[in-house]
Amino acid sequence: MKTKKFLAVAGLAAASVLILSGCGNGGAADANVKPATSGEVNWWGWTPDTAVAKRYIAEFNKEYPDITVNYKNFENVDYRNTLVPALESGKGPDVYDLSAAGGVPDTWGPYAIDLEPLAKDTLGDDWKKKFSAGYVDQLTGSDGRIVSLPLGGMSAGFLWYNKNIFDEAGATVPTDYTSWVDACAKITAIGKTCFAMAAGGDDTFPTEMYHSIANSVDPEFFIKASTGKAKWNDPAGIEVLEIIAKMKKDGIIASNVLDGTQYPQANEAFMKGSAAMVQMGFWYTQYAEANSCAASMEAAGVANPTCFVQLPLEFPDVAGKGHGSQYFGEVDYGLAIAEDSKNIAASKTFVSWMTMSEKGQQNVANALDLLPGLQGVKPDWNAISLVDKSVQQPAIETLIADSTATTQTRQWQATEKSLHGIVVAIQRVLDPTLSESIPDIAAKLQDASEASTAGTK
Amino acid sequence: MSNTSIRMRERAAVTGTDREQSRPSRATGPRKRRGASGLLPSGFMWILPALIISVGLIYYSIAYSGFLSFFSWGGGRQHLKPVGLDNYTEIFSDPVFWMAIRNTVIYFVVVFTVQVIGGVLFAAAMHSRVIMANVYKVIIVIPIVVAPATMAPAHIQVWQSDGTLNRILEAIGLGDLAQSWIGQSTTSLLVVILVGCWGSIGFGFILYFGAMTQIDPEMLEAGRIDGAGNFRILFSLVLPNVRSITISLAILNLITALKLFDSVWLITQGGPAHSSEFLGTMIYSETSGASRDLGYASALSIILMLIAVATSIIVQRSSRERAAARPRRGRRAVSEERNV
Repeated sequence: MKTKKFLAVAGLAAASVLILSGCGNGGAADANVKPATSGEVNWWGWTPDTAVAKRYIAEFNKEYPDITVNYKNFENVDYRNTLVPALESGKGPDVYDLSAAGGVPDTWGPYAIDLEPLAKDTLGDDWKKKFSAGYVDQLTGSDGRIVSLPLGGMSAGFLWYNKNIFDEAGATVPTDYTSWVDACAKITAIGKTCFAMAAGGDDTFPTEMYHSIANSVDPEFFIKASTGKAKWNDPAGIEVLEIIAKMKKDGIIASNVLDGTQYPQANEAFMKGSAAMVQMGFWYTQYAEANSCAASMEAAGVANPTCFVQLPLEFPDVAGKGHGSQYFGEVDYGLAIAEDSKNIAASKTFVSWMTMSEKGQQNVANALDLLPGLQGVKPDWNAISLVDKSVQQPAIETLIADSTATTQTRQWQATEKSLHGIVVAIQRVLDPTLSESIPDIAAKLQDASEASTAGTK
Repeated sequence: MSNTSIRMRERAAVTGTDREQSRPSRATGPRKRRGASGLLPSGFMWILPALIISVGLIYYSIAYSGFLSFFSWGGGRQHLKPVGLDNYTEIFSDPVFWMAIRNTVIYFVVVFTVQVIGGVLFAAAMHSRVIMANVYKVIIVIPIVVAPATMAPAHIQVWQSDGTLNRILEAIGLGDLAQSWIGQSTTSLLVVILVGCWGSIGFGFILYFGAMTQIDPEMLEAGRIDGAGNFRILFSLVLPNVRSITISLAILNLITALKLFDSVWLITQGGPAHSSEFLGTMIYSETSGASRDLGYASALSIILMLIAVATSIIVQRSSRERAAARPRRGRRAVSEERNV
């Protein structure tokens, strides 16, 4: 009887161990495996939107019909919160977006294979020079590994406006603080929100507003403060926060600004056509395209949408110093291949085609989502159907030229601590129930920040 | 103490004694001699593997968190960097941590109070003969069954600047009171607390309703014969008899407040400016951010666990001491009454 009991217990224990070991990671493929022409690739990212990704994949499948690519899109914060645990469990994606901001190449990079051999095989020994300046360095881990290859770049530091609302309100696009206030008065008079902005929660999106205003105050201040060469509570930093407070007082920033986060709150307000302006970066260019515009409006809750004409707008001269914000930008994201992936061969084919082939990059350029990573690739306007080509095409061509010429980085040279410090400082300034002085808020930002060493060595 | 209540306690004590006397004595039954192996329940060996795995995993996780709390570590394939007690000293000097502790205490006190009062009142009301009692019961209990993630968008819709509450206020001429409930430091915590109250009353109701069913009707009848009204019966007979439920709710609420995460994260993400931050949201932010520090998050988790264990022990001990002290006080009051 005792023997039977012992055997039963031992059997149960063995079964438990087997079940638990089954939960572990299966064998990953060899990182040095050659690219394959068949297989299945699971790709995760916060961008592009699903509709754009489907177009990328459809074009890719014309050349590689035997590789199935499944794309999963996340909201910004959800992606950040989901990706690392998924990669750590070994159950994550085969290919994933990896940005340059906030030291990400060192936090998400260790889960990726080194893509330098693949880049060399595809583009030759001088492969780095074939990408836009700085893009590869921004996606390189501190150990020197190329943890992802640039799909494209982006820029920010400007606004987008809904031309239809401006026309209806009889408003002119703002170029300085006073004209911004005037435009807002006319827009709110027709029952629309002037400027959609959402700075609540934990997301670091509001730092773009801070950065833009800082560039209007002193074009060098943001990068200097980010890298420890200036303090966030220097006079320029205090002036930035004072301008933000004034913008709310004068009705440019809406009273519900802390109710939620930029995505979805501000994005939906703009895409629904209820707000005249929004601060978004180059990726928003895609919504000038008719199909993307309709899909995005539907996603924002508009049934049977009629697309409006959206155009980029230089950030107004809010500091009154004769200039608004210069554009700031960097590589938006690269594609990384997970070290634990069982589909590394097919993933290599997909990543190579997307990031290093002219066809793939032309595809990226035509989606108007990113500035192509490979130099010399420009949108084929004949293949793009804009909502109003006569107005939007010249505006977007100027935007692309200015964005490509930018020399200031966006978040690559800012630590996550500093970015979060900026968000909390903005929230303190905009919170109507707090009575802290702006110098005190700026001092707290300085205390909470951490200088970045990126790009300073 | 009034004569009525003393008489009621005496009767209750007598009823209790009678009940004990009517039970068969455990000592008088035939006893089987048991060896050392007989101390184990017969099915113990069968649950041993599961027990080892589940208990092992829990205590392994606690021990591992304790180990990690002395390191700075981004997780996965990053290097473990020993930092000694730095994580703990950083936590105790972080104003956000103290904000989270303050919020936890406020949340616990308010939600617990509302749960007890609401739970008792609803349970008492349902025990009286109200029309459509089952419908009310369902309405009260529904908030417990619905997942916080499901309800979060509805709560946001209610509390945001152009949400339901502000529209109602404007419609009834109280538009001056309309404000950004979620988007300001002074009210974001209030929103989280009210959402907590909304979800907790039903749980209190279920426990109190069940406990009240166990109260001997004779005792209540005796109270009524002695002239006690509904409130006197509630406070002098019912509440003392459901005291164990109140203590359990106190401990459960304390643990809930310490672990609070989902509804806060979904509604305010701990903001604005950390005004609705809790230990749970702090740990989550530190664990899931792009530049996370699992060592710091582990130190926070260890502190959370120590607070939970310490306060639970304090609550239980103080409740036992009160329970032990109560009969003595009761007897003294009765003897004083007799002397008079």
